[in-house]
Amino acid sequence: MMSNKIIEELYYSKNDEWIKVENDIGTIGITDYAQDQLGDIVYVEEIKKGTNLNKGDVISTVESVKAVSDVYSPISGEIIEVNQAIIEDPSIINKDPFGKGWFAKIKMDQPEELDELMSASEYSEYRKE
Amino acid sequence: MKLIFEKSIPGRDAYSLPTDLFQDIKIEDYLSEKHLDKDKKQLTEVSEVDVIRHFTKLSKFNYGVDDGLYPLGSCTMKYNPRINEKMATLSQFVYAHPLSSAEMIQGSLEIMYQLNLLLCEITAMNQYTMAPASGAHGELTGNLIMRQYFIDHGEKRTKMLIPDSAHGTNPASAAMAGFEVIEIKSNENGTVDLNSLKNAMDEQTVGLMLTNPNTVGLYDEGIEDIEKIVHKKGGLLYYDGANLNASLGIIRPGDAGFDVVHLNLHKTFSTPHGGGGPGAGVIGVKDRLIPYLPTPIVDFDSNEKKYFLKDTGKKSIGMVRSFWGNFSVLVKTFTWILSLGPENLYQCSRTSIINANYILAKLKKYYKPAYDQYCGHECTLTGREYKKYGIKTLNIAKRLMDYGIHPPTIYFPHFEPYAEETIMIEPPESDSKEVLDEFINIMIKISDEAKTNPEVLLSAPHVTPIGKTDDVLAVKKPILTYDDELNSKDQ
Amino acid sequence: MRYIPSTKEQQREMLKEIGVSSFEELLKNIPEKVKLKRKLNIPPALSELELEEKIVKIAQKNSNFYEMKPLLGAGAYRHFIPEAQKSLLQREEFWTCYTPYQPELSQGTLQSMFEFQSYISRLTKMDIVIPSIFDGASAAGEAALMSLRLTHKNKIIVSTLIHPHYRETIRTYLAPHHIEIIELPYYDGLVQYDQLEQLLDEDTAAVLIQSPNFFGGIEDLTAISELAHQKKALLIDIIVESMSMGILKSPGDLGVDIVAGSAQSFGMDLNFGGPYNAFLATKKQFVRQIPGRIAGETKDKEGKRAFVMTFRAREQDIRREKATSNMCTNHNLNVIASNIYLSLMGTEGIYQYSLLNAKMAHYLESQLLKTENFEKILNYPYFNEFLIKYKGNIEDLNQILLKSHFLPPLSVQSFYPGNHFEQTVLFAVTEIFNRDELNRIVDILS
Repeated sequence: MMSNKIIEELYYSKNDEWIKVENDIGTIGITDYAQDQLGDIVYVEEIKKGTNLNKGDVISTVESVKAVSDVYSPISGEIIEVNQAIIEDPSIINKDPFGKGWFAKIKMDQPEELDELMSASEYSEYRKE
Repeated sequence: MKLIFEKSIPGRDAYSLPTDLFQDIKIEDYLSEKHLDKDKKQLTEVSEVDVIRHFTKLSKFNYGVDDGLYPLGSCTMKYNPRINEKMATLSQFVYAHPLSSAEMIQGSLEIMYQLNLLLCEITAMNQYTMAPASGAHGELTGNLIMRQYFIDHGEKRTKMLIPDSAHGTNPASAAMAGFEVIEIKSNENGTVDLNSLKNAMDEQTVGLMLTNPNTVGLYDEGIEDIEKIVHKKGGLLYYDGANLNASLGIIRPGDAGFDVVHLNLHKTFSTPHGGGGPGAGVIGVKDRLIPYLPTPIVDFDSNEKKYFLKDTGKKSIGMVRSFWGNFSVLVKTFTWILSLGPENLYQCSRTSIINANYILAKLKKYYKPAYDQYCGHECTLTGREYKKYGIKTLNIAKRLMDYGIHPPTIYFPHFEPYAEETIMIEPPESDSKEVLDEFINIMIKISDEAKTNPEVLLSAPHVTPIGKTDDVLAVKKPILTYDDELNSKDQ
Repeated sequence: MRYIPSTKEQQREMLKEIGVSSFEELLKNIPEKVKLKRKLNIPPALSELELEEKIVKIAQKNSNFYEMKPLLGAGAYRHFIPEAQKSLLQREEFWTCYTPYQPELSQGTLQSMFEFQSYISRLTKMDIVIPSIFDGASAAGEAALMSLRLTHKNKIIVSTLIHPHYRETIRTYLAPHHIEIIELPYYDGLVQYDQLEQLLDEDTAAVLIQSPNFFGGIEDLTAISELAHQKKALLIDIIVESMSMGILKSPGDLGVDIVAGSAQSFGMDLNFGGPYNAFLATKKQFVRQIPGRIAGETKDKEGKRAFVMTFRAREQDIRREKATSNMCTNHNLNVIASNIYLSLMGTEGIYQYSLLNAKMAHYLESQLLKTENFEKILNYPYFNEFLIKYKGNIEDLNQILLKSHFLPPLSVQSFYPGNHFEQTVLFAVTEIFNRDELNRIVDILS
């Protein structure tokens, strides 16, 4: 099985979400492993800007031909920006899961939650075949 | 192949009209333009010959049980006897209006009443409702019955326990009945983990939905413990009868302690699958649940010596469909049971169990089984070990088509740790040893091809009317009607 | 036994290959206590000859229904089905096969679904069609649940002129979801419009209306949809007599959001109540919330047009407890039955037959009213069913008709108890009658 891409400076959740932290803003997406498992993503459920989330809440649902997966927020906070591009063209997530395939930007209100997430090497271990 | 719409030519027709068209009546005198459509609905204009040729050709693109082995696990694709069809099409049954008065439908009511007695004996239950139209419909009905039972007893139970190996309809039905689904993991042997069950079963739980043998074809050796655990906390035990073909004359769900049972008449009882129905998912219950059955059921008045439709009373869950049941399916079931009798019903199960174990024994060194144990009427192999050749179970299934065989069930069931890349094979009793041997030889050949010539699997199928379909395109650019197709061309 | 080909010898060979000395070894996981230790107590096997005789005798305890044309509809209509349809349905490839999960081996089934979807789309003027829910009642139940998912509201308004079985089924489907069900009363054979205005509020998810309704009446769906939409509620149109679509305006032109339609009139015999089939039809934007299987068009790897089941992620095998419905097996063979029927009827046939149904019903009513024995108590526009009051005893009416081999109309009181319907019946007339028969009916009843 080909090895999936991992990006060093990101944090990772057990549900295959990643978060990129810049000051108190976290950008969230799903990992290369996740998009590979799903196959061609055909639908992404609308994400509402302004929603207040708790860690573990469902941000969105992605759908492929053979599977459906909830995308959970790895941290608590308010959704301040939504990536409309992936709603319009879900294939972006497959093509560029760590870059253009981002889902939402969240203003973190409990940055300590990041300690509960995995580092790149920890996630790599976790998802080793 | 062309759509019927593409064969339409203005001026053609396939219908006939009586000479008296009631021209003396002007419908505009009664219905205004508020209700009448000023235009005709545009369907098609084809001749009867066109229709016959179109559908004859279409039928040839399908593969049916009459064409050969159809080893779909969990579906019991057995022979559909022709006498069943003939009995179901007797004119006194076919033209009977469901709302006719009781004295006119004694024959239909007798079929339903007698069938109830037969099914009760076969499964050790006390009363069946014939209302549910499919297994899932039966599951919903059964869940609603259990829900009503607890409401009636003043108990607030909101959770339903369902094994991770269960068919997707189980949790979907429980959710439709308003329950929270709690998943029970399977143990190393592929059966219900008794500790998980014990921990999850409490007084807020309705009970457990169980398929036995389960979806990988294994009888649950813990069935007595399961029954005790669930009933001890006042719960109810639901039997998903999809796999009853492994149990006829061998084990009856009622004897094993089940309170609610659904049967798939279009599986175990030989009524045809019809390309996806109609079947029937009749529900059997023990005495204490009879008050909650959907209304009506058929009863016999021993004074009047007449059958009648009886309202099941105030505690009934109501109705789950209009009228009384999928009657023609019931006639076919009745006919089949009487054709077999007790010895042959047992032989159905005995033969299908031998069939499945035979395939398991012959193929396990080529396709690693999910669980290497004797199975019931179906066995679950996997395509796990072909990953290293770049081959998935899907590719094996598609290659089978090139050999003229319908693939078994693939990717179901799917649960940890071993049931993945599954190939679930159910060879019912209507398939003989030669048929199985042919299948086995082909599977061995494909195993060889996977290792030496994987490309031929990856590009399969080759000889079917169409090749592998682009399912992603179907969702991304939905064309769900002919008009969608026309509109997409305009763009 | 003729359905179980394996011989004893073959089974012995197979047991040997399996590596067991007896069959019972394969059952060792079944606890002894639960094993059945006796023969099933059911009648011994009958030969095909004996069986046929037995069942024919049972069938003969029914009336000779073929000869009895029904003046009774109420959710099950006897229409003429051309022999070509029955003949085509005999083809084993249509009825012995399974759900079309493997599209390469099921284009017959899938294309048929797609064609039926296309026909219903044109008849209803709705974008998307689910070709098979078990029957109109369960389809109505599923439509109600769908409206809850779409609106996240908790009230449903249900017309009291919906078929009583359908209403009961809707209640059963909604029971676990803590939904307030508000009944919409009727007046003069149609739903009470001003009552609807009062009953609708911001929490209403949907208004369910049957049209033509149980009394045969054609509801004003345009006006109802305007009211419903003002409160952001969906309008669900339940169609029980699909033949009505031949001449009546399509629900899509009347502001309907979801149609739950019984397709029984399109090629299914009465069969004592089932199996029938129903469709759901709705707007494109609701596709992810609609339950049931749907066929879509795509291409195969060579670019050839092909049909597949699509939008599968809504279904139970993928979504499990989060599925739009638990539906798996549906009534697919009846989809093919209707598809063939509609192909045989065509544009003209459906129009002409539908028109004939309406004309003949109105003819019968006008002739009955000319006699002294009948009275029109309600005045509403109808398709092929109408209410009428008989000035005599209903039992006599029934006996007179039965004697002349007609199945009597429905006594309305059985479904709508109340003195005002004491002598009221619901006549249904379809194209299977001819003028002489209708005249004779009037004759014997006057």
